[in-house]
Amino acid sequence: MSLMTMILKMSEGLSKTCAIFFLTLLFSLPLGMIVALLRMSRIKVVSAVTRFIINVLRGTPLMLQLLAVTYGPYYLFGVTVARNKLIPVVIAFSINYAAYFAEIYRGGIESIPIGQYEAAEVLGYSKLQTFMRIILPQVIKRIMPSVTNEVVTLVKDTSLAFTVSYQEMFTIGKQIANSQTSFMPFLVAGAFYYIFNVIVDWVMGRIEKRLDYYR
Amino acid sequence: MPDNRNNPAENTAAPSILEIRRLQKAFDSTSVLKDISLSVERGNVISIIGPSGSGKSTLLRCASFLETADGGDILYDGQYAVKDGVYASKAELNRFRTRFGLVFQNFQLFPHYSVLKNVSEAPILHGENRDEVRNRAMELLKKMGLEGKENAYPYQLSGGQQQRVAIARALCMRPEVMYFDEPTSALDPELTGEVLKVIRQLADEKMTMVVVTHEMPFAKAVSNRVIFMDGGVIVEQGDPIAVFENPQEERTRQFLRVFER
Repeated sequence: MSLMTMILKMSEGLSKTCAIFFLTLLFSLPLGMIVALLRMSRIKVVSAVTRFIINVLRGTPLMLQLLAVTYGPYYLFGVTVARNKLIPVVIAFSINYAAYFAEIYRGGIESIPIGQYEAAEVLGYSKLQTFMRIILPQVIKRIMPSVTNEVVTLVKDTSLAFTVSYQEMFTIGKQIANSQTSFMPFLVAGAFYYIFNVIVDWVMGRIEKRLDYYR
Repeated sequence: MPDNRNNPAENTAAPSILEIRRLQKAFDSTSVLKDISLSVERGNVISIIGPSGSGKSTLLRCASFLETADGGDILYDGQYAVKDGVYASKAELNRFRTRFGLVFQNFQLFPHYSVLKNVSEAPILHGENRDEVRNRAMELLKKMGLEGKENAYPYQLSGGQQQRVAIARALCMRPEVMYFDEPTSALDPELTGEVLKVIRQLADEKMTMVVVTHEMPFAKAVSNRVIFMDGGVIVEQGDPIAVFENPQEERTRQFLRVFER
């Protein structure tokens, strides 16, 4: 198999890699905010339970979570495994990444001085207005570097979908490597991930720059 | 416990804009305010002086509902915001909030907003006409000596300029009384003057103000009444000349001695 065919075959899986990537961000970024707010809840039970769930999600391998979400329903309830693996893969990724984002959000929210809340309160901002207008914009700016880190990690983590044989780029590459007994597909995969992350880095840098108008 | 109510409730026609009676506040088991009573009449400037930890900031923060008092009354214009330690409803407190403005020691401007937006957003959110508020904000900024700074961001301004923006922001809400919580304590010495100047200007315009300060000459020059607090009680209060030049209490004398020289 020529290098060109290899690249072409693997790039067919690239759309699925992108699907995991974008759908995971789409769901985990907002879900993480909900989790962060639950984690900071004044109701002790809520924050304790949320904290436990976050710790489980961060303390166990994503690969295990992928297997659990994909095959768990079959072993537990006898439900047939979904034909389209994208759904369980995105669910597992979104939940896992939401746990990481939640902790980033929490750190960001807690880093905003109490005085900002007090100033808004005295000026008659409602709780929601204070959060949406005063706190959140400052939080977003502060957490951008950590979020970029997670997003870069996510690009590489999409390759874990091979464990449930979802036909994304890395899974295809691995199959070619096996059938051709060649190391080449792994180098191609590495190049793909690297280029992907160069783009991610550029986009995130642009966003950070746009938030650079204040300190 | 000594009775510190040197200021019995007046039964004159116009009620005081702010009246505090027997206010109590403790943090955990430390009592910070012990039975504080005072009233603020319209057009008056009241300075609160005293050593750190005396409860003067807590008093202002209770008056502006940032701290929850444990007991006592807070009345605005004769209406109870807090009665015997029980707070009025959220909606009512919001209405009381429009009566006062608060200026913090470290400004607490919103860093992601331009100067103009810092000053004008709150009244606009309260449903006032955008253009009217902006005109008012621009006038206030001019008055604060900040003409041409409306599009700057807080980080581009000096501490003194930032504090003047914070004063404009509070004034833009058209409060009936202004609270200043050590407005110059976070400033470099050479910048305190410009902030004190605008406060003095407000005093000349008969703005009702309560100023917690360590600037004794300022307090003496501007106030109608000076309150000396120590250990959570009002030790002494009265005419500024009397308090500064002829203090009756030993603790007041001790405190003021530090500032002589």
